[in-house]
Amino acid sequence: MLVFRGLVAEPLLEGADFDYGEYLSGQCLTCHQNSSDEGIPAINGAEALYIAKKLILYKNKELENEVMQLVASALDKDEIASLAIYFNSLEK
Amino acid sequence: MNNLSRRAFVSFALASTSLLAMPAISTGSARPKVVVVGGGAGGATAARYIAKDSKGAIDVTLIEASKQYYTCFYSNLYLGGFREYDSIGHSYDNLSANHGVNVVHDWAISVDSSARKVRLGSGATVSYDRLVLSPGIDIKYDSINGYSVEAQTKMPHAWKSGTQVKVLRDQVLNMPKGGTFAMVPPPNPYRCPPGPYERISMVAHILKERNPTAKIVVVDPKNKFSKQGLFMAGWEKHYPGMVEWIDNDTHGGIKNVNPETMEIETDLDTFKADVACVVPAQRAGAIAMNAGVTDGDWSPIIPASMQTKADSNIYVLGDASVASSMPKSGFSANSQAKVAANHIRGELTGSKVFAAKFSNTCWSLVATNDGIKVGANYKAGEEKIEAVEKFVSKTDEDNAKRKKTYEESIGWYNGITTDMFS
Ligand SMILES: Cc1cc2nc3c(=O)[nH]c(=O)nc-3n(C[C@H](O)[C@H](O)[C@H](O)COP(=O)(O)OP(=O)(O)OC[C@H]3O[C@@H](n4cnc5c(N)ncnc54)[C@H](O)[C@@H]3O)c2cc1C
Ligand code: HEC
Repeated sequence: MLVFRGLVAEPLLEGADFDYGEYLSGQCLTCHQNSSDEGIPAINGAEALYIAKKLILYKNKELENEVMQLVASALDKDEIASLAIYFNSLEK
Repeated sequence: MNNLSRRAFVSFALASTSLLAMPAISTGSARPKVVVVGGGAGGATAARYIAKDSKGAIDVTLIEASKQYYTCFYSNLYLGGFREYDSIGHSYDNLSANHGVNVVHDWAISVDSSARKVRLGSGATVSYDRLVLSPGIDIKYDSINGYSVEAQTKMPHAWKSGTQVKVLRDQVLNMPKGGTFAMVPPPNPYRCPPGPYERISMVAHILKERNPTAKIVVVDPKNKFSKQGLFMAGWEKHYPGMVEWIDNDTHGGIKNVNPETMEIETDLDTFKADVACVVPAQRAGAIAMNAGVTDGDWSPIIPASMQTKADSNIYVLGDASVASSMPKSGFSANSQAKVAANHIRGELTGSKVFAAKFSNTCWSLVATNDGIKVGANYKAGEEKIEAVEKFVSKTDEDNAKRKKTYEESIGWYNGITTDMFS
């Protein structure tokens, strides 16, 4: 998939799989939509690396928020990468 | 995913391409057909995801009785005056316009599972390769002595999508000064475990402003309830002395309700109400019963796919399913729909089927800007959907935190309704 836009060399995104990201995103899209932005940040079209780094911070409990800590705790490195490139591909 | 499991996925996907795509071909139709009954949290999501992700490769028909879906989620906020009624109504137009879903507004009357056909109210039949049922709940009117279909205007349950919640709001607004609001929550298992207690909070919110000497009595058929400590602390803080909750052991059981005299009779006492919300026991929507995929009141499913145990061509989502440990919520139904959509797509088009993952968060509003939440993520066990990790709001959170939690729930409402209807 070319959606990486040259970021493939980035170690945080190495294990990315677009189709798996599409499937996993189902869990996030209940909350994260362009329309959710009033109370939950919209992440469609955000930089893949930005998304991956945020997810790692939630996973490590370095960022507060129960739902996001819970969500991220269940994701491994490849899943984070897959989600990051998938959300990056969505329209803002 | 490690490399090993990725390889396992690939080989599984290949296997499913060759073996499982066959039924679609054998029907002789150009595209495999999925019929979804019920356009609520589970069904609208399933129809949208199957159509969207298969990019037209699957023919999706959604059968939904109503033209407009009024969400039960946030109906309590309408009751409390935090939302306009119109703001919780959603149309199905985008599902056809944006994803090519064939939306049929009619009742599904019966399912012939051997011929794989659904009969509609109009008399027409629709055939399917895979059938998704997400009909929500039916009310068991006879589960409380004295309650009936007719009783619901006097003692509304307002536990299904629709205008009963408007009736209830009018009754609360017009309650006599210093009067009594009685609530009879349902027994387990039921749609939206924290819902009755959010409703009590919203009624208390109105009464505090308009009718501060009024009282609320909760005659519960249970001895404990969801987020109990949080709700009770909230009631004490915002509505001191207004809410009296009586558990089953204390009142000894609900013997009878009388919509004429507005009385609720228990072993302990007879409670007289000016306004009463009575929510009986529930069961899976009738069409699930008709399809022969229920055992008792609900439909047992295989956690990995949401297929029914009774018929692998039929999936049941949401409230109608036995999806414990997940609660019966809109969030759960939406989450289950995506697992089913992925599985159905795999079966019919040979796309990769990924391991089931589920999640749920239920927010409740206790008072203005005082939101609480409970959530968990889940995986498919052999017999059950098993919770992996959980969280719940804490009683000692500050006001800023509670306000943020409420704002998050507004984001979620907009998010999930976009996820269902855009
Ligand atoms: C007061 C209240 C508050 C709630 N708050 C929340 C909340 O904050 N968060 C949350 O996640 N959940 C909440 N819920 C729960 C949520 O509403 C349900 O769990 C959810 O709607 C279940 O989705 P479903 O798809 O199973 O059924 P539903 O959403 O009820 O959808 C079923 C649909 O099927 C249609 N239908 C049924 N039978 C047929 C048929 N034979 N033919 C054609 N159409 C048919 C119905 O018209 C309906 O539109 C709340 C519920 C209540 C009552
Ligand atoms: C139950 C609702 C919910 C779900 C489900 C959810 N999130 Fe979040 N997410 C939030 C909230 C709320 C925040 C903001 C937290 C804060 O600011 O305190 C957030 C923040 C984020 C952020 C940081 C955004 C920023 O700009 O700061 C990212 C990235 C993110 N989520 C990704 C995801 C992904 C990927 C998933 C799915 C695997 C997901 N979320 C599932 C509610 C949710």
